[in-house]
Amino acid sequence: MFLVFAGVAVATARGYSLGSVGRMGPGYFPLALGILLAGLGAITVVKSLLVEGPLLEPLNLWPLLAIVASVVLFGLSIERLGLVIAILIVTAVLAISFRSISWLGFIGLAGSLIAFSVIVFAYALQLPLKVWPAL
Amino acid sequence: MDILSNLNLGFQVALGVQNVAYCFLGVLLGTAVGVLPGIGPVTTVAMLLPISFTLPPESALILLAGIYYGAQYGGSTTAILVNIPGEASSVVTTIDGHKMAVMGRAGPALGIAAIGSFFAGCVSTLLVSFAAPPLAALALQFGPAEYFSLMVCGLVAAIVLAHGSVTKAVAMVLIGLTLGLAGTDINSGIRRFTFDMRGLADGVEFVALSMGIYGLAEVAYNLQKKEQAADRVQKIGSVWPSLADLKFSTPSILRGTALGSILGVLPGGGALLAAFAAYTLEKKVAKRPRHFGQGDIRGVAAPEAANNAGAQTSFIPMLTLGIPANPTMAMMIGALMIHGISPGPTVMTERPAMFWGIVASMWIGNLMLVVLNLPLVGLWVRLLRIPYQYLFPAIVVFCCIGTYTVNRNLFDVYVMAFFAVFGYLCLKLECEPAPLILGFVLGPMMEENLRRTLLMSRGEFSIFLTEKISLIFLVVAAIMLVILAAPVVRRKREEAMRE
Repeated sequence: MFLVFAGVAVATARGYSLGSVGRMGPGYFPLALGILLAGLGAITVVKSLLVEGPLLEPLNLWPLLAIVASVVLFGLSIERLGLVIAILIVTAVLAISFRSISWLGFIGLAGSLIAFSVIVFAYALQLPLKVWPAL
Repeated sequence: MDILSNLNLGFQVALGVQNVAYCFLGVLLGTAVGVLPGIGPVTTVAMLLPISFTLPPESALILLAGIYYGAQYGGSTTAILVNIPGEASSVVTTIDGHKMAVMGRAGPALGIAAIGSFFAGCVSTLLVSFAAPPLAALALQFGPAEYFSLMVCGLVAAIVLAHGSVTKAVAMVLIGLTLGLAGTDINSGIRRFTFDMRGLADGVEFVALSMGIYGLAEVAYNLQKKEQAADRVQKIGSVWPSLADLKFSTPSILRGTALGSILGVLPGGGALLAAFAAYTLEKKVAKRPRHFGQGDIRGVAAPEAANNAGAQTSFIPMLTLGIPANPTMAMMIGALMIHGISPGPTVMTERPAMFWGIVASMWIGNLMLVVLNLPLVGLWVRLLRIPYQYLFPAIVVFCCIGTYTVNRNLFDVYVMAFFAVFGYLCLKLECEPAPLILGFVLGPMMEENLRRTLLMSRGEFSIFLTEKISLIFLVVAAIMLVILAAPVVRRKREEAMRE
């Protein structure tokens, strides 16, 4: 069941990339790849229709969503608010969404991550990072 | 004579204070991630790629290589004591290793794993130094046609050796190739697959892709799995195996080393496959195979020797041909490219200090690992008590910082988030990401070589069949595909994967 959905989704995605570049010269290699992909997508769909595929366990999207959200927030905050606050936000989002860490644990974790990152990345390795919010 | 003077040069590089320090840091980190289930060497190497940017290329590769083979050592500790593979390649070690630990023989199991790994490491390092120069010399004569066919052959091998559905593996390779093509076309300057986004003009950032798939997606995948209850073995005892144990397992170590060395060179091979194959081989040749699965020391010795040998020899195709045998090697190529070195046969002649320095550092690293692992095993066991709840936020933070600092580009961070979702779906749909990474690295090279070939032959595809070496590669690829399609082999393969 789920395989069918996935197969269709993948096939349409492939069809899209195939259509977007069709020019001669630079488009030649991608076009060949696109055709091959589309063919495979079709095979996968047909196969999943013919064979009763094993049901996949229901998707638990919560962890994925939390992680993606925290990454996006990191991206939004790193340039304006700096490293310290960005790390604080990431750990906070993850800690709240999983409720697996005690308050004390959270403070310890965020503290050590901030200390480690600032010392190692910003000072020892001189990576171009803003540590504090730009005023 | 050549080899000796080269090795001498290598040791001079590798024994420099800075490089010894990085080698040590590499194997230390490698052991740590090997011991910890849930983070592997690929994730760690991906996280350290941006840091390696600030180091000289020798040190960077010595550090990254140390992580890879260090993880092979560390993985066995967890496998034996906790019955969870700390590393994918030590899955097999859990079978007999943990049984031994339950029977109160955890010490000898750990000891033989380390001794086997060390022996295999030494032999395969020697093999690298002997096999690499002639191979590189051969590769120097390759034209674009040969390279294209070689890559086809490599990708087919990656498909053959991938787990699960063949169709899916092929699809993953093709997606990887396509992703690799995104960005500005070198020949015509036309932007492809950029969807009018400026951030994609230079293509998809390799670090962002690999961290998304191997770092974040894996974390998400691990988090939604239920925690396994683990029965831990606390008592370790003396780590020195008895003389009888040693004698009993020596042939297994030798076989494991030989098999691992061969399989490591194959694209798609490397440590994981080597361990599985070695275990199966031991079962076949043993006089009393019934003992396997019940704490047979040979079942620990052979796969551990094999996975370490495989880890080392997989450097051969990477350093001489510029073709990655597995995702970790793809990362190494990424690291070389960050430093502006194009991997291939010229690396050895143009940068002998780097090449031989890496080879020599492998031997030093293996020596360090024995010291790190045997007396300090208690320390690593303590590391296992760190709960995953504390580890995964750290991984996420390091992935973010790493991706951002490569180019100081926020867009890359969002690309990483996108590939986290993509990688998660792949894991859920049982599509292995390894062929995708290989395809991604090889994509631009393949297109370039295809175009050059067709330019030289004026559009004649037959050139791939008239050039001898190129023909050989294509025939090998075709044979592999045919074998794969044969129903008997397919059933066997499925059986082997299930084990």
